[in-house]
Amino acid sequence: MEIGLNHYLVLTTILFAIGLVGVMRRKNLLMLFFATEILLNAVNISFAAISHYYGDLTGQMFAFFVIAIAASEVAVGLGLLIVWHKKHNNIDLDNMSTMRG
Amino acid sequence: MLDHILSILIFFPALAAVLGFAVNKNSIRSYGVAVATIEFVLALWLWFAFDSSVSGMQFMEHIPLVKAFGINYIVGVDGISLFIIILAAFFTMIGIASLGETKDIKNMIVTLLFLQMTMVGVFAALDAIVFYLFWELSLVPMLYIIGAWGGPLRIYASVKFFLYTFTGSLVMLVGMLFMAYFYYQATGEWSFAILDWYRLILPETFQKWLFVAFFFGFAIKVPMFPFHTWLPYAHGQAPTIGSVILAAILLKMGTYAFIRFSLPLFPDASVYFMYPIAVLAIIMIIYTAMVAYAQKDIKQVVAYSSVSHMGVIILGIFALNVEGITGSIFLMIAHGVVSGALFFLVGVIYDRRHTKYMSEFGGLASVMPRYATIFGIMLMASVGLPLTINFVGEFLSLLGFYKQSHTLTLLAGMAIIVGAIYMLSAYKKMFFGVVTKDENRNLPDVNKRELVALIPLTIITIWLGIYPKVLLEPINTSVEAVVGLMHEKSLTQEAKSRIPNLTKDAEVITNSAENTVENSTENSAEEAH
Amino acid sequence: MELFLYTALFSPLVGSLFAALFGASKKTKMAGIIPSALLGLSLISSFVLLVSVLSSGETVHVEMMTWMATGDLYIPFGFVVDQVSVTMMMVVTLVSTVVHVYAIGYMDHDKGFNRFFSYLSAFVFSMMVLVMSDNFAGLFIGWEGVGLCSWLLIGFWYHKESATWAANEAFIMNRIADLGMLIGIFLVYWNTGTLQYEQAFAIMPSLEIDVLTWMGIFLFIGAMGKSAQFPLHTWLADAMEGPTPVSALIHAATMVTAGVYLVVRANPLYDLIPSVGLFIASLGAFVALFAASMALVNRDMKRVIAYSTLSQLGYMFAAAGLGAYWVALFHLMAHAFFKALLFLGAGNVMHAMHDELDPFKMGGLNKVMKGTFVMMTIASVALAGIFPLAGFFSKDLILEVAFVENHYIIYSVLLFTAGLTAFYSFRLVALIFHGEERYKLFGIHPHEAYKFMLVAMSPLLLLAIIAGSFKMTYFEMVTKLLPATEYHVHSSLTYWIMTIGTQLFVAFAIVYAYKKYTSRDIKVPDGTSKLENCFCYKLLINQYYIPRFYEDYIVKSYRELSEIFWTKIDQKIVDATVDGIANIFYQTGERTRVMQSGNLSTMLKWMVAGTVTLLSLAVAFGLAARYSGEIKIFLSGLGV
Repeated sequence: MEIGLNHYLVLTTILFAIGLVGVMRRKNLLMLFFATEILLNAVNISFAAISHYYGDLTGQMFAFFVIAIAASEVAVGLGLLIVWHKKHNNIDLDNMSTMRG
Repeated sequence: MLDHILSILIFFPALAAVLGFAVNKNSIRSYGVAVATIEFVLALWLWFAFDSSVSGMQFMEHIPLVKAFGINYIVGVDGISLFIIILAAFFTMIGIASLGETKDIKNMIVTLLFLQMTMVGVFAALDAIVFYLFWELSLVPMLYIIGAWGGPLRIYASVKFFLYTFTGSLVMLVGMLFMAYFYYQATGEWSFAILDWYRLILPETFQKWLFVAFFFGFAIKVPMFPFHTWLPYAHGQAPTIGSVILAAILLKMGTYAFIRFSLPLFPDASVYFMYPIAVLAIIMIIYTAMVAYAQKDIKQVVAYSSVSHMGVIILGIFALNVEGITGSIFLMIAHGVVSGALFFLVGVIYDRRHTKYMSEFGGLASVMPRYATIFGIMLMASVGLPLTINFVGEFLSLLGFYKQSHTLTLLAGMAIIVGAIYMLSAYKKMFFGVVTKDENRNLPDVNKRELVALIPLTIITIWLGIYPKVLLEPINTSVEAVVGLMHEKSLTQEAKSRIPNLTKDAEVITNSAENTVENSTENSAEEAH
Repeated sequence: MELFLYTALFSPLVGSLFAALFGASKKTKMAGIIPSALLGLSLISSFVLLVSVLSSGETVHVEMMTWMATGDLYIPFGFVVDQVSVTMMMVVTLVSTVVHVYAIGYMDHDKGFNRFFSYLSAFVFSMMVLVMSDNFAGLFIGWEGVGLCSWLLIGFWYHKESATWAANEAFIMNRIADLGMLIGIFLVYWNTGTLQYEQAFAIMPSLEIDVLTWMGIFLFIGAMGKSAQFPLHTWLADAMEGPTPVSALIHAATMVTAGVYLVVRANPLYDLIPSVGLFIASLGAFVALFAASMALVNRDMKRVIAYSTLSQLGYMFAAAGLGAYWVALFHLMAHAFFKALLFLGAGNVMHAMHDELDPFKMGGLNKVMKGTFVMMTIASVALAGIFPLAGFFSKDLILEVAFVENHYIIYSVLLFTAGLTAFYSFRLVALIFHGEERYKLFGIHPHEAYKFMLVAMSPLLLLAIIAGSFKMTYFEMVTKLLPATEYHVHSSLTYWIMTIGTQLFVAFAIVYAYKKYTSRDIKVPDGTSKLENCFCYKLLINQYYIPRFYEDYIVKSYRELSEIFWTKIDQKIVDATVDGIANIFYQTGERTRVMQSGNLSTMLKWMVAGTVTLLSLAVAFGLAARYSGEIKIFLSGLGV
């Protein structure tokens, strides 16, 4: 059986779903970052796959962009996380409610 | 200077207001009076330089703003807007001059001067976008005046005032955009200039839709029944000066816009909607007059009476003939003077007793005879006694509408009865009888500062009642142009017959005069049955 | 002549403004004397004009300035002195001069002395504008002006609840009629294109009868209000709350006759519509009887005279309605003299009796008030229409008119009313001046009025006696303008029977009244006698329950309806709808702010939900766009 585009897309869908569930269910901020990484990487895989399928490099270039941005985002995010942890001694999402409307 | 007098009139108060922030708190009052007086003198100069035999726009200025979309800064003045501009300048002047002890007086005066800019701007603007800009801007100072200096319910009242009128004008804005789009489709060019739009003849269905869109904006501003409920709150909570300006000038924006936009742009739709609007106007007249009768608070009485009189103005506008429209424009001035004065008068007693409930008074005629006299004169003007300013407007408005419908005019004429009922009973409650409350026994009569506002208003009330010609002549010339335009532009047979044709040859006139006499006799005979 | 015209017109205004200058200051005699003098000037000018009109027959017509001009409408301040208006001017200036001088004495002790003269002179000015105007709009100015002054003067003692109530009632009732008048004016304008009498009346014959009828009806509605005709009559009796000189001038001699003047002035119109004329005449006859019947039992001296005024106005309308305009105007004139005299006499009595109005509490006053007694008696004789006093000539003429025009019902009603008139007039005279001195029971010491007040009244006395002798001069003068129909009963025998019969009937009524009310048995009624409990008496003393009907069914329901409009409709429906709409937005925000809990994980959940919704929408729309053709077919298959 040859692995085609559909397989990749199914994989990314599953990964994306896992990421979504992670975003929704996780209370730990660190885990949340992991979940967003999964989301982004799911998209990356689909970019690469579709790019290969069409023989167009734009998609793969875009995947690199995403990786770069994800990296910087995590860097900033982790920085904030550490500061938060130092201040409050936990990284539980439910405690972050200063934005209550 | 005369070439730019309108721009000066618009922006001088705003500039002065900005500078006003730098003025010492102790001298701000005289500064405000000085600025407003200069503005008023300029407005009078405008009148002096105005050529009343010209029907079109005068002192036009034209500066392109956004060329690609045909948005220009165009201002100009004709007989319809001239006197309202003067009135606005006048009321700002006497308003500031007679301002009582107010907290944050500096802010108040600066706000009033900004308000003046927007008022003059609305009546001078000849570009829809500029008009809209000033129209909306005028809400801001008023919101501030009610919200900052108002009574206990001021926040509710000011927010209601703002949101209600704002909603209406958004619908109007949509109408304006559509209108410009139609203009684009017809000519291939964008333009928001009202005078350009005048040349456009729209199909009847478009006219109707656009008419309705504009109607919402104007009707809420007027305010017409059933959109009137913001007004009693706004008046009830606003400080005296706010109510005065609101009643005297801001309400006139709606009726003025009817004449500036609705009638000449959509003549067929105007005829089509004439009866429904007339019915609304009549409901407005009688219903609000009855509501006014039920009030316990004198300021609310005046507020509702103000709505009631606006109904007559609307009726005059939709008479669609020269007599009616001229009358309604005159009545705008008259209503401004009279209801402005009545709000001043209510303010006088409020300053002394800090209550507006009529049951708190009684027998004031013996305590404050001068106050009672001036109130009496304004009361009589308000009920439309001949030789006062209101009568001329009401008479002409009703006379004009009588041409369109006999029965409806008969109903609308109830205004003179119901008006007398609520006004006289209010006067009786406040001034007649014996003094029962001890607080009222030693009330001081009107003082000099208050007389500064009241005496000129009294003089105008009587002067223009006896000699309205000075105003009627320029108004008449411009109105004839509007009516002529409407007749020419109208498409339907109905509209052609409803809107009189003014451009007949002398010979034709004599012939048709006989015809119309016969026709109208038949009509009236039928109507009468 | 123009100078005299302006003098006659404007000197009352000057007087009014002069008195107004002292309005707020202490009482000063000057505030009474100067306006009276200026009125005298006005009287002299009017007299000069009268002489000139009489001698040359020429009328004076001036146009002072434009009032309103717009479109085709052109209304000037125009004034005309012709045969009709000069008659009215004479009546107005004469009676008002007398009343002014009288009032200097009458209002002597009143705090509002200056104010009073300011109002009174303003009234005269308005009345002059009313009668001298050459167009309907000018007439309306005067019309409303007298209404205003009447309001001010009825409510002159503004601390009295009843006075201010009566003032407002009068103003509002007049306003109802004024609406009719206004509509009439609109009709005139839109059909004739002008409001000038001359031009308008010239065009009227070419108009359709229906239009003219409506014109006539609406103008007459205006007249009904001012002249207090049924059903707008209740204000007149209540207006007696004002000072007595006011009642004499406004509510007897001048203002209330404005309606008659209007009908006389519009005679070319009413000539074209005899059916409306007949209606006017019938209403007039009805009111004559109706008002006289109420006067029979009333126990308020001034109200009796007010009803008598109402009744006489009915006579005038009866004449005017039957086309005898000059007769109506003649009766108007004669009536003004003797009725003003009667009222001023009543004022003297009131002063003497310390504002007591019930004639049953008086009696025997002829001993202390000789002058007043003579004057009131003569005025009453004139009112009753006994030869050779003024009332005989004018009133008998109206009866003849009704007879000659073959309206026998109107004739008999008016004849019967003449008897009633005589009865109630002398009931009053008898109760006040004759019989036992019942006032002693109440500890009052009556005194005669100032001498100069009596002197001031004397011109009226004179005219009440001799006005009849001017009949022919007057006839020749006014018939240059009014239809000159002479009313003669064809056979002289019938004429004599009628005249003598009427005189006997009236004389009998007088004697009966005297007999009944001078007797020593008259007591102050206490509500126990048989008469007072009979239905008729109750009906009459309660004015046919009409005021109560108005109060209970119209005023009250208006008040209640207003209350409902405000509390129920305006607040509960109109405003609540607006607030309701605003509330929808507000509540939406209020409800959805829970989403903004600040908890990151819930917010993330919402984010996911949003993403999913958007994605599914995108898919749904994509599919719909792709298969739009099929969907349409499917939908049309369903018959959508």
